[in-house]
Amino acid sequence: MSGGAVPAKKAEAAGAVLDRSAFNRALLDSVGVGLVIADPESRALLFHNRRFLDLFPELPANATIDQIIDVPADEDFAGEDVVIREQEIKIKRRKASLLIHFSRHSLPEGDVLMVECHNVSKIKELEYMIESYSKMVEKNARDLRREKERAERLLLNIMPKTIYEELKSFGVTTPQRYDEASVLMLDFVGFTSMSVATDPMSLVSELNDIFTAFDRISEQFGCERIKTMGDAYMAVSGIPEATPDHAQNVAKVALLCRRYVRQRGKTRPQNWQCRIGIATGPIIGSIVGVQKYVYDIFGPGVNLASRMEEKAGPMEIACDDVFYDLVRQDFQLEERGTEEVRGIGKTKIYNLIRANEALDLALI
Amino acid sequence: MERSLFEKYGGFGAVSKIVMRFYNHVLDSDILADYFEDIEMERLIDHQTKFVASLMGGPASYTDEMLKQLHDHLEIDDKAFDEMASLFRATLVEAGLDEEDVESVAYEIVKRRPIVVNVS
Repeated sequence: MSGGAVPAKKAEAAGAVLDRSAFNRALLDSVGVGLVIADPESRALLFHNRRFLDLFPELPANATIDQIIDVPADEDFAGEDVVIREQEIKIKRRKASLLIHFSRHSLPEGDVLMVECHNVSKIKELEYMIESYSKMVEKNARDLRREKERAERLLLNIMPKTIYEELKSFGVTTPQRYDEASVLMLDFVGFTSMSVATDPMSLVSELNDIFTAFDRISEQFGCERIKTMGDAYMAVSGIPEATPDHAQNVAKVALLCRRYVRQRGKTRPQNWQCRIGIATGPIIGSIVGVQKYVYDIFGPGVNLASRMEEKAGPMEIACDDVFYDLVRQDFQLEERGTEEVRGIGKTKIYNLIRANEALDLALI
Repeated sequence: MERSLFEKYGGFGAVSKIVMRFYNHVLDSDILADYFEDIEMERLIDHQTKFVASLMGGPASYTDEMLKQLHDHLEIDDKAFDEMASLFRATLVEAGLDEEDVESVAYEIVKRRPIVVNVS
């Protein structure tokens, strides 16, 4: 048997017996598109395939194309080979979306209008579903992002940004030594007796107001609030980024905090009086704790600031001589003399009075 | 944390399979199709996508209150609810969920009968 001869013969035989128009008809019925050929003038249906009947099962006898489909107006065909329209139909009880292609053809027998109906319901359904789903996912992503930002803000409240970045990138942080830094410590005179004497709730709420104001001042002048503990407030400048102005920054914050307390006392029954200690010296900054971590600072600068605060009288700002040397160009200070400082020995102490006018600060 | 069905069956792929099948079943059902006669396809699919995702523990949650509100304007009786529940169960089986997962999701549906059924 020679290869290929038989199929060729078969095809030839089939061609002989196959009615060409029946073949065409079978072909048109087998395509996945609802197909109609209509008279462009009378709009009568000249031909439709089986798929078209699937889409329009209740097609009336002698129906015209206009009765079932919205055919574009003649002018819509101007210059167009194909005009495409979308149409919603109902197949039995079920809605379906059709994408319909209209085209005009000139045949020897005359002009015809060809209509191809693509059932795009499935695609539409999928589109709708994807849209619904992606909106859901986007909303979730937004919620997550917000939650992450909230957590980040909380962490930034308890540690400087650079330390937070370090913690985020490496999971741990290493203690850092800062040789050039100034520390401010503040507390309120007679706070313990105040809290007993007055309504503790309103006292705490006032303290919250005051510390919030201090935070704003600290931030404005390049200081980092480290912590509050009861009525004590601690801020520092020179960490985590070194700055040559650390002493000036702290001096400004101290003066402004004192002014805030003074101004506030003028309009309220409760007279708050603060004590501020400032010192310049090396410190170590580190995160302390694992589950409940806080960022804290330690070292000679911190100890000395705490001693200075003890030495300060009501509404006074006491500072050590290293700090004095750094700020005396820009601020007015008063020497108090040499005093014995617990754990440190004899130290020259100064009171910070005000800023020089050249600083152009409304500091009192 | 226990893995949700949503993660177990491949997230969006699983949801989409269930939604498309369920949608077809519902619209082919003689009992249910009437309820959706006038509803827009887009809305119905949106609702079902969220519902399925929420049942599977995906990125949506329908509260009972929302379900009640969504069904309040329809007169849903036990027969319609049973049909829906059984079609949903069939869909889950077709979508290839393990038997115990089919049971647990089906239970989540049946549990909500009092919320959805509003006529006797």
